[in-house]
Amino acid sequence: MGKYVAKRVLMSALTLFLIVFVLFVLIRIMPGDPFPVERMTAEMIAQKRLELGLDKPILVQFFDYMSMLMSGSFGNGTSLYNGAPIKPILLACLENSFKIGVLAIAFGTTVGLTIGIIAALNRGTVIDGFCTLLSILGVCIPSYVFMIFLQYFFAYQIPFFPYFFDPSRFLFSSIMPSMSLSLLTISTVARFTRNELIEVMNSDYVKLAESKGLCGFELIRRHVLRNALIPVVTVIAPLVVDLLTGAMVMEKIYGVNGVGKLMVDAIAGEGIDYNYVLALSIVFSSLYIGIMLVLDILYGIIDPRIRLAAKEA
Amino acid sequence: MKKIFAAVLLALLMLTAACGDDSADGRLKVMLGSNVVSLDSAQATDSSSFEVIADCIDGLMQLDADGKAIPAIAERFDVSADGKTYTFHLRDAKWSNGDDVTADDFVFAWRRHAQEGEEYSYMLGSTVACIKNADAVIKGGDPSTLGVSAPDPKTLVVELDVPVSFFPALMAFPTFYPINQKFYNGLDAGTYGTSPETYLANGAFVLKSYMPGAANIQLEKNPSYWDADRVKLDGFSYQVVSSSDNALTAFKNKSLNVVEIRGNQVVSVQNDAELSKNLKIIPAGSLNYLSFNQDPKNHHAGALTNTNLRLAISNAIDRESLVDNFIMNGSKATFTAIPLQFAPHAQTGAYFAADQQRYFDVIGLGVIRAQEYLAAAKSELGRDQFDLNLIYANDSGDTIVKVAQAIKSHVEENLPGVTLTLQPMPKAEYLTHVTSNSFDVALTSWTPDYDDPMTFLNLWTTDGCKISEHWSNAAYDKIVADCTTGALAADYDARWTALYDAEKILLENAVIAPLYTNMNAVLISDNVSGIEFHAAGVDRVYKSAVVK
Repeated sequence: MGKYVAKRVLMSALTLFLIVFVLFVLIRIMPGDPFPVERMTAEMIAQKRLELGLDKPILVQFFDYMSMLMSGSFGNGTSLYNGAPIKPILLACLENSFKIGVLAIAFGTTVGLTIGIIAALNRGTVIDGFCTLLSILGVCIPSYVFMIFLQYFFAYQIPFFPYFFDPSRFLFSSIMPSMSLSLLTISTVARFTRNELIEVMNSDYVKLAESKGLCGFELIRRHVLRNALIPVVTVIAPLVVDLLTGAMVMEKIYGVNGVGKLMVDAIAGEGIDYNYVLALSIVFSSLYIGIMLVLDILYGIIDPRIRLAAKEA
Repeated sequence: MKKIFAAVLLALLMLTAACGDDSADGRLKVMLGSNVVSLDSAQATDSSSFEVIADCIDGLMQLDADGKAIPAIAERFDVSADGKTYTFHLRDAKWSNGDDVTADDFVFAWRRHAQEGEEYSYMLGSTVACIKNADAVIKGGDPSTLGVSAPDPKTLVVELDVPVSFFPALMAFPTFYPINQKFYNGLDAGTYGTSPETYLANGAFVLKSYMPGAANIQLEKNPSYWDADRVKLDGFSYQVVSSSDNALTAFKNKSLNVVEIRGNQVVSVQNDAELSKNLKIIPAGSLNYLSFNQDPKNHHAGALTNTNLRLAISNAIDRESLVDNFIMNGSKATFTAIPLQFAPHAQTGAYFAADQQRYFDVIGLGVIRAQEYLAAAKSELGRDQFDLNLIYANDSGDTIVKVAQAIKSHVEENLPGVTLTLQPMPKAEYLTHVTSNSFDVALTSWTPDYDDPMTFLNLWTTDGCKISEHWSNAAYDKIVADCTTGALAADYDARWTALYDAEKILLENAVIAPLYTNMNAVLISDNVSGIEFHAAGVDRVYKSAVVK
């Protein structure tokens, strides 16, 4: 088991390193300059490039960057926000995105599970059809349409929620952004829960439990849900990362200061900020790779066949 | 189960208690069209940043409601007989941490600005403010040689290379604002102006909530402001909204009191009996124009080196149709290189570009003359077909996309044999193209930094740094040099006349094709008054704003 875990960790670290390398090279060679060049002379820009070490060969720049990363710093912005240190700004934005993401996950999984369970328990009835329709709509409707819909109806037509996100009323003004983000989670969780529940409910051990007189909510809670939820957790893991790392469109529409908006600002400003784009990409990639690593290790623990297969390979 | 139910019920109750009408607190809420790039006056480059900096910091001078320079931190100033030395006498003003605002704060800020050589440091140099030794310091010289000194804490002496007629007005621009040296030196590198804790105000408002890139910025009244009696607002907030649709809905919803709208929304508001009362068309000061790349080595064989071809394109465009049918926010067709309602004459008050027919012998001539110019170009170049690209940055909304499409149709319909291929791109990529010579025609704009025609005319000198038009004209360069640092700098009227001569050379050679002066269509709530709008420098000032 130790060897399996070590191998997985090593693979993850290598993947992350490759991602950073490819991104680093791509960002350096893509068109666009980190400086807003409208009022700067060529001489001033050359001076700036020298200060930031952009005149060195790309590989040297890459190793400089890696040694900076190893010392626990993302460096300073190359053009965005004054060249201020990236870390505190990134952490503040991550915190905003993270809080709204957690709300979205909580809301999405709760509603999704409820819809899935109701559909499974009423399989083949009108209720099942309605729940399935809801979950299909959730996948089909682009999330930004739902966002604008929520904003229009619940902040404009019925002015109950604030139109824009207001950091001084965090919880209240997070409701619409997090609800709009949770749409995909709701439908994914609902569909998987329904299918898994139906499969488990048809299994022999549930039938045995029924034959022993167990029924209703107790049967679902003790025997069905516990087994049905494991695959559901696997499916929602990547969705969780998506929600935690913010949503560019949602953050733009509601005016949330999150990492999605930060990424757009870093790319779409007058100058592309190399260091912000890299720092954000590293954070996003690390989260994905980290969650996949945890899942891989969990699979290894749960199912020894995976461990063996990895060993043989 | 009961516990869970109770918890959910409690959460719902808390939410209901927290809710309410968004605009009920009576605070002013203003739309910002783009992020604040930086609150450091040496680093700021955009109108949003300049506006928020000016909310918090006062310079030596400020602009009144009519755009005239009046004293701010400087109580008064003296000018030497030769016009080259300004002595500013500072009033008793405080920073928000209780420190006195001193002349040293200005010296520190200006030296630092010149030394760091950021985008706006050119304002100190020989093309704008002409502060002694500024060019040398920007290029790495000793900052202590900069022509600014503080003989005592309340006196600031500025030495110029030549007299600059608009120097007092320049002092209202954020580039020339002070920074508290002791406070700045106590901060970690790069953290100045990144939070309310790392920013000091000496102006009307202090930061309450801010972080770099913030979508929501909150300010509150600065109780220690020297002119606190003038400030009626307890505070106000900015909301960054890039979509004009979203802004309009938020205005109707009373979530925002001041918003800017564009295109079709302006028409729909004009047709709405209620909303149209709130609409104001305000000069934005910026000029939108076409810039032609005249490099003979250009990848389209340098066809645009031909003046007749450039004149043909410029005259083939129906500017009235552009503003009436595509822009629709009150912007005005322009036939001069200086925009309308900008740079008033010091004595007469007449705007520099008031006479729009001044160059009607080369511009605004219509399709028939455009075709004559094209015929001349064809015979001079020995070609019948001109395939050109038109590049523009498309991330500032859909108006520019419509304008580019309209220009393409005007040119291609009116000038047989000329094709314009549209190449929209993000702004960062666009800037790389225009500065690295890989374009034929660029659809661009320029926003003035100060209230003088030179903020535009400087762009097209041989060393002008905005776009590489590859146009060089000794007579033009001489006039600009004479008007900035030469013989004409001290003679206001002779300089004014010479600036017209420079503009004439520019338009006769069709170096650019001016298109329209940008206007902002702004919606302001009924209960809001007293916001001052300016075409140059700081766009909006809230010191006298009132919310009833």
